[in-house]
Amino acid sequence: MLIVLPQLIVGGIATGMLYALIALSMTVVYRATTIVNFGHGDLVMAGAYAIFVFTAGLALPFLPALLLAAGLLFLLGFGLHRLLMQPIMSGPHLSLAMMALAAGNVLRGAARLEWGNETLALARPYAQTSFLLGQTVFTMDDIVTTGAVLLLLLALFCVLHLTPAGKIIQAVFQSQRGAALVGINVNAFHGVMWGTGAALGAIGGALLALTVTLSPDIGVWTLLRAFAAMTLGGFGSLGGAVIGGILLGVMEKLLGFYVSTAFIDITAYVVTILVLLVRPQGLFGRPAARRI
Amino acid sequence: MASEAAPRRARRRFLLLPALLLALPPFLDQYQQYVVNLVLVYIPVGVGFNLVVGNLGQLAFSNVAFFGIGAYTSGILMLKLGLPWWATLPPAGIMGALAGGAASVPALRGVRSFYLAVMTLAFGELMRWSYIRLESLTGGSMGMAVPSADVFGWALATEWRKFYVFLALAAATVIATDRLLRSRIGRAFMAIKDNETAAAAMGIATSGYFVLGFAWSGFVVGIGGAMFAVLVGHLSPDSFDLIELILQFAIIMVGGLASLTGSVLGAVVITATPQIFANFPGFQELIFGLLIVLVILFLPRGLASLLARLHPVFRDQYYDG
Amino acid sequence: MTAEAAPLLDLAEVTVRFGGLKAVDAVSFAVAAGEVCALIGPNGAGKTTLFNAVTGNAAIAAGRIRFRGEEIQNLAPHEIAARGIRRTFQNGGLFGELTALENVLCGLHATIASGVAGVVLGAKRARAVERAATERARRLLDLMEIRHLEDRPARELSGGQQRMVEIVRALATDPPLLLLDEPAVGLAPPVRAQLGALIRRLAKETGLGILLIEHAIELVMNVSDRVVVLNYGAKIADAPPAAVRADRAVLEAYLGHG
Repeated sequence: MLIVLPQLIVGGIATGMLYALIALSMTVVYRATTIVNFGHGDLVMAGAYAIFVFTAGLALPFLPALLLAAGLLFLLGFGLHRLLMQPIMSGPHLSLAMMALAAGNVLRGAARLEWGNETLALARPYAQTSFLLGQTVFTMDDIVTTGAVLLLLLALFCVLHLTPAGKIIQAVFQSQRGAALVGINVNAFHGVMWGTGAALGAIGGALLALTVTLSPDIGVWTLLRAFAAMTLGGFGSLGGAVIGGILLGVMEKLLGFYVSTAFIDITAYVVTILVLLVRPQGLFGRPAARRI
Repeated sequence: MASEAAPRRARRRFLLLPALLLALPPFLDQYQQYVVNLVLVYIPVGVGFNLVVGNLGQLAFSNVAFFGIGAYTSGILMLKLGLPWWATLPPAGIMGALAGGAASVPALRGVRSFYLAVMTLAFGELMRWSYIRLESLTGGSMGMAVPSADVFGWALATEWRKFYVFLALAAATVIATDRLLRSRIGRAFMAIKDNETAAAAMGIATSGYFVLGFAWSGFVVGIGGAMFAVLVGHLSPDSFDLIELILQFAIIMVGGLASLTGSVLGAVVITATPQIFANFPGFQELIFGLLIVLVILFLPRGLASLLARLHPVFRDQYYDG
Repeated sequence: MTAEAAPLLDLAEVTVRFGGLKAVDAVSFAVAAGEVCALIGPNGAGKTTLFNAVTGNAAIAAGRIRFRGEEIQNLAPHEIAARGIRRTFQNGGLFGELTALENVLCGLHATIASGVAGVVLGAKRARAVERAATERARRLLDLMEIRHLEDRPARELSGGQQRMVEIVRALATDPPLLLLDEPAVGLAPPVRAQLGALIRRLAKETGLGILLIEHAIELVMNVSDRVVVLNYGAKIADAPPAAVRADRAVLEAYLGHG
């Protein structure tokens, strides 16, 4: 039983990296705008379909297609914010949540109308090999996913901490009011952050599409797992989203193997519910002060 | 005094509306009757959902779970215990109410807004997974055939028989919820939505009303589920997925949040029209999504707000008289 | 006689902490029936926090709060309200979507004895108590001469009208004690004067005890029987208005903070 433990952890980390990236992309939007984007999963889905169209339809190589998909999704995210969210920013949370959810549904509906009945799979841009290290198998999929997300995280970290723009973004994350004070165009900033979140989500979608069959429903599937990762790590914490994602990936594998296969499906739901009930601030978040 | 009594009398006239509908079946073909029945199913579903989201102001996505629990409770009791359909109505409502009570627990613990939405979304998916996994009870992903239904021995063999029973149930739900909203209970819901601290300062025990609101919602939606089970005759987990959630959201948002009239209107508009497109997978999501986007941008109080402008009787009122 | 001898509201060494900070520091004072007691102090002195402690919205770390001789510091806000301590809110606590009448009816909530079953089944008794409450709410609006506003949603009312409805709502159950949190904010001077007269009249004619937070110092001086001054959470004065005006510590507290 224990002999498979390293194997489970390796697989869990690879999946968890994807959750981490998508949870992180949602957290960027949440921290910048204080809105939880309930349509984010469908942006991830759109990213996956975009890269499929660019590679299979337009016969582009994988990397240019990835960049193109990320760029396209940046525009889509930016546009969604500008056209749909910005007009209702001062409205109740219900409107904001429903607007994002509804926009996501439009995307999903469109994808289903176009590709709903087809089984599509993205061609891997690398050979599907694997390596043996001791008793543990490392598949190329695991390595590529983990490596790509790590690279991306490193790049993001550098942008946030080493560039002037990153410093401004961090300042706004600390305090929304501060953003207006230092003279940032808040609407434009929010739009760019929605775009960035969508672009990061698209990369997550593309990586996801390497290992699963494309379906309009992968967006929602991802959304629920990203929520679990964010909840686990503490809503709004960038590092928490990453660690929460990895933990979730590993937990799914371990619980699924050692307890019941059911947990492969339901770990995310159970984690979300339990954490919010028992420790709403998650593992790394601070308890939110409630105002009277 | 005459002017005060007037709205009440005007409201009484609405009791004639279902009476007019009684004469409807002969004019409709089989399929049209089915669609009308589906509308009647979604009246309690919309009414219950709107109570939690519109009146109590809670961003809870758990309505589809209440709906599914009601439907499966009814179906399982008929199939496994051989209960007649009418006898499964109270348990379906009660199971829905219990699920509602459970869904109010996070709210009681201070989970609000986006967090409550995330949590109830997970709850709904967990339920859907249960329908698939509890195969011995639910028939799993293949679904279960619901036995034919009767009301005290009167078989609901045709669409128009179902119609009369459904009409009575939908009307009862609307009337009961209307009474609830016009009492101190309805006012307490609205007060909690607006300002929980101020509500408590009025002597309103807010926790109790959270539980009551969710449980009442679960009860009527559970009844709706039992109606759904017998209408479609076959329950499968797919009926309770996120497309269903967006449909139910479309009902209350297009109809009008925190409006009983809106819930009914929404059920009519949203349930009836997209049936035409049921054969194009994806179309419903697209249409519901677009409708919600448009309503939030251009008609935030829904269709009910248009009606309220026509006649004050459609305005929501939270007192008796 | 004993009831009159004991103060209506009695705070003894009340302390409220936010983390390490003492927002209210061992404050003691009392409010008697028929008395208007003002609570003043610079911003951040702990006035609203003290209100929240009395209404059960802020937990106290030490001390006792007695209302009509009974300790209330462990009760929930709605229980304290039901016992007869009612309040208005700094930024207006009306329920915007409800009408003026419905807002006043919310004030009567604890006195309406109707349950779910009675309401849903349309029981005679439930309807009768609801109707009686509606009639009472209308009479109260009439008394303040704002009956014509009854069907207007609260968010559509002017600032002065909202303040009046909020006071009617707070007084709907004839509570013995009323807490007013900056009732004069945003009111035009003539409306402010009317409000002052109303506060005075309520206390003197009905025996209502009033605890008042207010920055409009003229209003405070005109209506109060007694003024309690807080600074950094601690009480620095407790005296009739004229005496407080001359108090050195009070002057320093205010001047020191601009």
